[in-house]
Amino acid sequence: MGRPAAVVPVARPDAVHAASYTPEELARYEAIVQRYARHVYNIAYRMTGNEADARDLSQEAFLRVYRALRRVEPGAPLESWLYRIVSNLYIDLLRKRPRTRMESLDAVLKTPRGELVREIPDVAADPDLILEREQIDTAIQRALGVLNPELRMVVVLCDIEGFSYEEIATMLRIPLGTVKSRLHRARQVLQELLRPYVEARRRGWE
Amino acid sequence: MDLNHHRVEQLLSAYVDGELTQAEARAVEEHLLDCGACRRAYEDLRATKALLGALPVAEPPAGWWSSLRAPLVPSRSRAGRGGRWLPLRGWRPAWALGALLLILALAAAPLVKGTMDRLHATEIGVDLYVREHALQMSAEPLVDRAYLGLVAGDADLVLVGESPRAGERRP
Repeated sequence: MGRPAAVVPVARPDAVHAASYTPEELARYEAIVQRYARHVYNIAYRMTGNEADARDLSQEAFLRVYRALRRVEPGAPLESWLYRIVSNLYIDLLRKRPRTRMESLDAVLKTPRGELVREIPDVAADPDLILEREQIDTAIQRALGVLNPELRMVVVLCDIEGFSYEEIATMLRIPLGTVKSRLHRARQVLQELLRPYVEARRRGWE
Repeated sequence: MDLNHHRVEQLLSAYVDGELTQAEARAVEEHLLDCGACRRAYEDLRATKALLGALPVAEPPAGWWSSLRAPLVPSRSRAGRGGRWLPLRGWRPAWALGALLLILALAAAPLVKGTMDRLHATEIGVDLYVREHALQMSAEPLVDRAYLGLVAGDADLVLVGESPRAGERRP
C-alpha cells in the first residue's frame, strides 16, 4: 500500500555477520539510528508505559534492523517496517508476560453497549494540580495503559506520532476501516478516563 | 450529502483527524452547525487528541544510545574474545582428557561406594547393617518411623556381646 517496499526479502536470514559489514553499511546503520531511534523509543515507551520495557523493546528493534541491514534499501523510508517491528515485539512481550502490571489495569469490559472502563480515581484528584504538566502526562500514560493494546497502538501512531490512517494501516497491516474504528473506540475510552483534563482543555479554548 | 446524527458521531473522529473526503467533511460541518450534542462531542475529541499530541517525547534512559550501537561493539569484542581464547587452543586435547577423567570418576564413585557398602554389610552381618541404616534414616524428617521400627525389629538383631533374648537359641 502506497509505500515502496523498504525491505527486500532475501532467502538467507542470518547470512550477514556483524564483522562483515563495510564501513558504508555501518554508516548507514548509524544514519538509521539517528533518524528513527527517538521515535522508536517514544512509541515503545508509550506502548509499554515503563522505561525498562521501552529500552529492551527499542534495542531489540534496532538489533533486527542491524541484522537485516543488507536487505534494507539505502534511503528507503523505514517507518512502516520499523514501527511494525515495535508493534510485533510488543505483542510478543504481552504474550510472554500476559499479566504484567500494566495489563492488570486493562479493565476494559465488553458490554453490549460498548466498552466500559474502570475509573482511575486519582485522575480527578486535585483541581489545583490539574494543570501540572507532569501529572497530566502521568494520567495520559495510565489511561493509555488501560486501553487494549490494539487500540493503544493505533492511538499512539495517530495522535502521538502523527501518522495518517493510511500509513497506520500499512504499518500494522490492517484495513483502513479498522484503523478508523479502533481510533474512534480508543478516543472514547480515553476521553472518559481523562474527563477532567479534556474539560479543562476545552474550557481553555472557549 | 445529508448525514444523520448517528452517522456523524461515527465520522467525528476521522473529521478531527482530517481523514474524511471533502463531501463528508462538508456534511459533518453542516450537521455541527445544527447539533449541539455533536458540537460538544467534536470539541471533546479535539481536546483529547490535543492532550495526546502535547505529550512530550519520552526521554531515553542514560546509556540507551550507546546500547543501540551495541551490535557494532559485540562484533569487535567477539573477535577480542577469540583472541583471548587463542592461547588455550593448543590445550584443547588436555582439556578434553581432563573432562573425560572427571566424568569417569563421577560415574565410578557410586559403583565403588556400593561395593564397599556391600562388603561392609557382609562384615557386620545383614541385620546390623539394616539396623544401622534404619537408625540413620530415623533422623530424616519425612521418614515413616513406624515402618522403620518394624524393619529394625524384623532384623532380629543379636549384637556382639548381647545376651540371647527369650525364646532364642544360640547357634
